[in-house]
Amino acid sequence: MPGASDHSAARAIVIEFKNVGKTYRSLLGNSVKAVEEFSLVVAKGEILGIAGPNGAGKTTLIAMMLGYLRPTAGTVEIDGLSARHYVERNGIGYLSELVAIPPKWRAYTALVRYATLAGIPDGEIHQRVGYVIELLGLSEHRDKKVKALSKGNLQRLGLAQALLRDEKILVLDEPTHGLDPVWTQRFRDIVDGLRRPDRTILIASHNLDELQRLADRVAIIDRGRLQRLVSTGYEHATPAMTRFRIAVARGHELVRAALPQAEEAGRDEFNVTVHSIQELNSTLANLIAQGVLVASVVPEHSVLEQQFREAVGESS
Amino acid sequence: MISLAKYSLWQFRDFVLERGIAIVLIGSLWGYVMFEPLRRAMGPQWTGDQTSPVWGVALQVASAVVSLSVLIAVNGIVSGDRKAGYYRFLFSKPINPVIYYAQLFAVYMVGVLVAMLILSGLLRTIFPAFSVRNFLLYAGLIYVAMGGIGFFLSVATRYDWLTLAVVWLGSRILRSVYGSRNDWRSKAVELLPPVHKLDEMANSLIGRGSADTSDAVWLVGYGLVFFVLGLVILRRGSLAD
Repeated sequence: MPGASDHSAARAIVIEFKNVGKTYRSLLGNSVKAVEEFSLVVAKGEILGIAGPNGAGKTTLIAMMLGYLRPTAGTVEIDGLSARHYVERNGIGYLSELVAIPPKWRAYTALVRYATLAGIPDGEIHQRVGYVIELLGLSEHRDKKVKALSKGNLQRLGLAQALLRDEKILVLDEPTHGLDPVWTQRFRDIVDGLRRPDRTILIASHNLDELQRLADRVAIIDRGRLQRLVSTGYEHATPAMTRFRIAVARGHELVRAALPQAEEAGRDEFNVTVHSIQELNSTLANLIAQGVLVASVVPEHSVLEQQFREAVGESS
Repeated sequence: MISLAKYSLWQFRDFVLERGIAIVLIGSLWGYVMFEPLRRAMGPQWTGDQTSPVWGVALQVASAVVSLSVLIAVNGIVSGDRKAGYYRFLFSKPINPVIYYAQLFAVYMVGVLVAMLILSGLLRTIFPAFSVRNFLLYAGLIYVAMGGIGFFLSVATRYDWLTLAVVWLGSRILRSVYGSRNDWRSKAVELLPPVHKLDEMANSLIGRGSADTSDAVWLVGYGLVFFVLGLVILRRGSLAD
């Protein structure tokens, strides 16, 4: 499993899932295994993505990490403590997939309440709440009732409450769900800004592009099991990742002549198959030397997409 | 702990807005509808003291209002947060859910007593002999007895209001059917909630200011055992469904 152990060896382990399993049992005796034999370590300072199709077990894993659900097998430890014990002692910045805040609360007072529970001193509460409201662009919505907020604004309010305290661990479950493209990009900038050597961030998302951009590694899970642990860096680019889309601003004829096997993929774009990143670089260098003006080079599928397709299957 | 203590003011505010106002309104209307026509009909014969023919009715209404208020107060006290998913943001903060809900139970008790104080103050305007102190004592006792069971059911089930009503009514029915028999069933129904003691407790505590100690201990003890059992399940079980 690439990247499964090297991260933890280099950095201190913060979160550890040890052979975790969760089976739901109904009163009639039916049982459903949501998570099975799941083992994973997350290092301090790491941003770990969790990807998987619907029903893969992502939210169940997160619920066990926060101590909301008890595993039926194995343990989840954070900083050497049981998950629930850690959360009760230190707190975790958590944005759930479904943002559930009482609808009659107003945005500002909701944050003041959460800040009170988070143990922020009285003198700092309004300053801190003001900061997250500003950060998440909620100023004009601060006095609205939660039920009057749009889905995107509610999501931002959920994220705001997760960022109230300077948490060592952040868990974000489908954080850009319901956000418009502007706020999706803004969210990515915010998470990038949160990256710190002593802060660990978990992001569960369907959006592989988002995880590719933000995460150091991504755990791909399916049917409750860890299928792969993928490093999102290109240093581990696999042989399968050999198709690239090259856009050129000038020199189309030169591309056709130099790469007769390249497929035209629309205006100014070519799909090129190479055997390695080294071959891609030398091909591009030749093209540029001949006068081709390259506008962009994008892998047809990111490292993560490719791994996800292999682990989960094309149907997902 | 300090942050939770500060949060109790928010919990009290929630009680007032979501339950307390409703309790005071229901209690006031109930009292008004019951006694105002009687007062008009009786005219100068209305005395409002313990010799009045409506005194017994007043005790019954006061007792019923307390039971209903406790039912309203503890309905969904834990299960509501679970069903709506509010627990997710609450308990990602550094707080202990067991202490959070124990505090909520205590804050709601204060809320119920404040509501009962208002209602008993109103009742005293037409029943000058009505003792606010005795009434609050009774309300506190019933809150622990009935609320403790309600709290347990709210931890253990999603439909606590319905379950509590079934347990309460079922206990009354089963006790009246099997209580006087001389077999194992009469012993078994002794384990059911002591609802049969409520009427006598209302008459003695609200009416006379004294109650049988063993009955009071039995009622409070029963509620406390279930309350603690609820806290244990909360600690050992899962917060999520």
